[in-house]
Amino acid sequence: MQDFKEKKRTVKKAAVLLVIFLILLLALSAFFKSMALNYPEFVQSRNRPWVNIQSERNDSIDVLVLGDSESYTTFSPMEIWQQDGISSFVCGQTGQEIEETYYMLKTALRTQKPKIVVFETNSMFQPQSVSEGIQKMIAQTANYYLPVFLLHSMWQNWVMGPEKQQVYYKGFVVRDIVEPYTGGDYMEKTDRKEEISPIVRFYMDRIVKMCKEEGCSVILYSAPSPHNYNYAKHNTLTEYAEQMGAAYVDFNLMTEELGIDWEKDSLDNGDHLNVLGAEKLSRYFGSYLKQNYELEDHRGEAEYQSFDDMVAQYQKARKNAAKKIEVILKYLREKK
Amino acid sequence: METLLEILNDIDDTVDWENETALIDDRILDSFGVISLISELEDQFEVEIDASEIVPENFNSADAMWKMIQRLQEN
Amino acid sequence: MGLAYHTELYLFVFLPLVVLVYHFSSQKMRRAVLILAGYLFFWSFSRWMVLYLIAVSGLIYGAGRWMEHLKETGRARAKEFHSKERSAIKKQYKAKEKRVLMAGIIILLGILAYLKYCNFFIQNMNRIAMAAGKDFYLEPQKLLIPIGISFYTLEAIGYMADVYWGRIKAEHNWAKVALFLGFFPQIMEGPISSWKDTADALWECRPVQSQNLVKGIVRIAWGMFKKIVVADRLSVVVTAIFDSYTDYHGVMIIVAAIAYTLQLYMEFSGCMDIVIGSGNLFGVDLPENFRQPFFSGNASEFWRRWHITLGAWLKAYVFYPVSVSGLVKKWNHFARKHFGKYLTKMGIFAMTLFPVWMCNGLWHGAQWNYILYGMYYFVILLAGEAVSPVREKVLDRFHLDCKALYWRVPQILKTWVIIFTGEMFFRANGAAAGFHMFRSIFHGFEFYRLWDGTLLGLGLNAADLMAAGFGILVVAVADILKERKLLNWDKLQEMKFPVRWMLYYALIFAVIVLGAYGTGYQQVDLIYAGF
Repeated sequence: MQDFKEKKRTVKKAAVLLVIFLILLLALSAFFKSMALNYPEFVQSRNRPWVNIQSERNDSIDVLVLGDSESYTTFSPMEIWQQDGISSFVCGQTGQEIEETYYMLKTALRTQKPKIVVFETNSMFQPQSVSEGIQKMIAQTANYYLPVFLLHSMWQNWVMGPEKQQVYYKGFVVRDIVEPYTGGDYMEKTDRKEEISPIVRFYMDRIVKMCKEEGCSVILYSAPSPHNYNYAKHNTLTEYAEQMGAAYVDFNLMTEELGIDWEKDSLDNGDHLNVLGAEKLSRYFGSYLKQNYELEDHRGEAEYQSFDDMVAQYQKARKNAAKKIEVILKYLREKK
Repeated sequence: METLLEILNDIDDTVDWENETALIDDRILDSFGVISLISELEDQFEVEIDASEIVPENFNSADAMWKMIQRLQEN
Repeated sequence: MGLAYHTELYLFVFLPLVVLVYHFSSQKMRRAVLILAGYLFFWSFSRWMVLYLIAVSGLIYGAGRWMEHLKETGRARAKEFHSKERSAIKKQYKAKEKRVLMAGIIILLGILAYLKYCNFFIQNMNRIAMAAGKDFYLEPQKLLIPIGISFYTLEAIGYMADVYWGRIKAEHNWAKVALFLGFFPQIMEGPISSWKDTADALWECRPVQSQNLVKGIVRIAWGMFKKIVVADRLSVVVTAIFDSYTDYHGVMIIVAAIAYTLQLYMEFSGCMDIVIGSGNLFGVDLPENFRQPFFSGNASEFWRRWHITLGAWLKAYVFYPVSVSGLVKKWNHFARKHFGKYLTKMGIFAMTLFPVWMCNGLWHGAQWNYILYGMYYFVILLAGEAVSPVREKVLDRFHLDCKALYWRVPQILKTWVIIFTGEMFFRANGAAAGFHMFRSIFHGFEFYRLWDGTLLGLGLNAADLMAAGFGILVVAVADILKERKLLNWDKLQEMKFPVRWMLYYALIFAVIVLGAYGTGYQQVDLIYAGF
């Protein structure tokens, strides 16, 4: 009996201590999150999309874009806004892993009700072993529920002052460098299919399922990238999209239609596009969205002031970038 | 026992060999002290001390060493 | 990648699951749980090579039983005879036992040597052949080395030697032997424990107790603090300088040597905290591997405080057997007649220390810089003993107190110089690189590099350096408190409840906020897992 009482007391004590710990953890998370939302300049560049999407006006984004660097270097919301008045936002990050994508979407859906979720497919082919997958799952789950884990390094910028940030235009990054791609045709027809790691597929399925539950249409797209894509991947993705009931657009097969000029439009020898390439892709994407989905034209609406305000700034950055690319191209041609 | 204390005092006469009980644990005897002591003991008492005997319990006090020597002589 | 001790997978999945399953099992089942957990852990790194670990357990179990059998029959047969024949029979059986022991050791060391040193041998053969202008080339082999082989091989040899010497009885239950070798917290990086240290406590499989649970978790958090707040940051600086050592000279080499020594200490001792903490969860106290090494007054004291279990193993199974071997005894008799006491002693030192330090160097791996590292300490310890009569005289002559600060502090600083230099050779990319770095300390010292921003060009910003500095300070204070016996893990438990728990929370939140993980950082592999 004595023993039992003793045991009960220890369990009680342990529970109290654990609860205190969890409360502290939640409090610290809340503190870091509010600091991040109020002082985004102190957040590390890579976490900025996480902050920015939560700072957008509730239920204002109709098209939400996710993916790794192939997404935010090719999909330009400002370009589409100017052309079609569609409100879109890119939540892509450098090397965004599928687990991160999942929780980024989940975070975005807390404040947004997008009609369409667009996903750039490059990260689906990152190989992940099961143990790596579990490892990342733990890390990203912790980041989602307890953002102190995501934002903890913010203290460095409080101490050091804000770091030099790249400018995000609704998630898009203007890339003003050019390195031509000279490898020629890369989409050679084949029946082969590229493997997707089981863990990646598992998360991808969860992403599509979440979109469906929220009533969003899903578009998968592959940015033109000789470095990352081939026909085997095309086959896999076509099949996958069909299975999941998602649309799939492979721009690697449409480079002529888009008018991609591999001398001018490539950022780094066929890995990413620069702003000129992104412009072409985005215009096409805008028309595609307008044609195939019912999306409102929000231009001129008071609630979308932030989009209109950004146009001028974006235009200027775009112009400067185009000039810089011209200079670099001239230099490269002369060197030849 | 007398001979043993003589040998020990020969090594270092500032130590109270008769009453110390933690010669090894307190590092009064270090590992080199132990091995030079062993060669003295082997010569004096005509025993063979092999590596298995070199444990703190056998060298922590003069008494313990004496017991070890007697045990080895019996064999 | 496996289940390395610092990964989320180990800390938040594997370890809690094992503790849970262990807790809800009966005592007998708990043993099975721990053994299986060990093999699963091993499998996560080395897959089917887990069979090797099982084979080693079987080998030493069998060798132990065989030696025991020989002991018993020897004793029984000796009883039948009178004194003279009796000792002859005893000797005969002892020799048989020794053959079993030797066979066991040769098998274990042979496999270890083949896996670890084969390519070293081939590469050096090729080099010699090339220098001699012979047309001879052997392809280095692609060998997969099972995880932790250097650690449990030593434990296995220790077990057999202890049985041979009669220090312990041969174990009759093979599962107990398997658990002794295969306890998962120890597999990867030690501590190298002897049978007497851990076997019984492991076998007891005490139920999980809240006190042990707290003790273990705090110890693990402390280890993570050392690893991800300090070591992982220093790793960036260390890699930057050591990998392009020709770009640096003078004070920067000293920075690199100190940074690496600190990194290694924080990492290895931090990992040991995680390991020992993991052991605590199961009610086992694993042997400590570090005891405030930076308070050592000389190199030999350093090795009694740094990687203690390796030093202890080499002392018990190399140093003592060599020192009572026939060769040393012969030298002792011969030299005392011809060379006098001092030279005799020095000869014994050289003969006994050389194998110890050769083994220490080789144990770390087959590279010339590890061998150099071992020989470096051999020379320093020998030199230390050589001048010890002079030191005694100086102390005596000037009535100096060797425990006073004015003597102790310079001694400690001198030892630091020895340690830093040693670790620099240890980390250098090859012996030649080590010598190059050592020489370049004296070419253009350029003290101002410490504050002209060079330090910030090594991949860490000022905030990272501050975090690492803060971490080092905290560990230094903790080590001073431990050294002065003001605080230790047991005393911590006796502190007032709220104070204690405030410290615990502060530690855990320091790890969460200051840790070098997540965006902008990469997980750094454990250094000693490579040995």
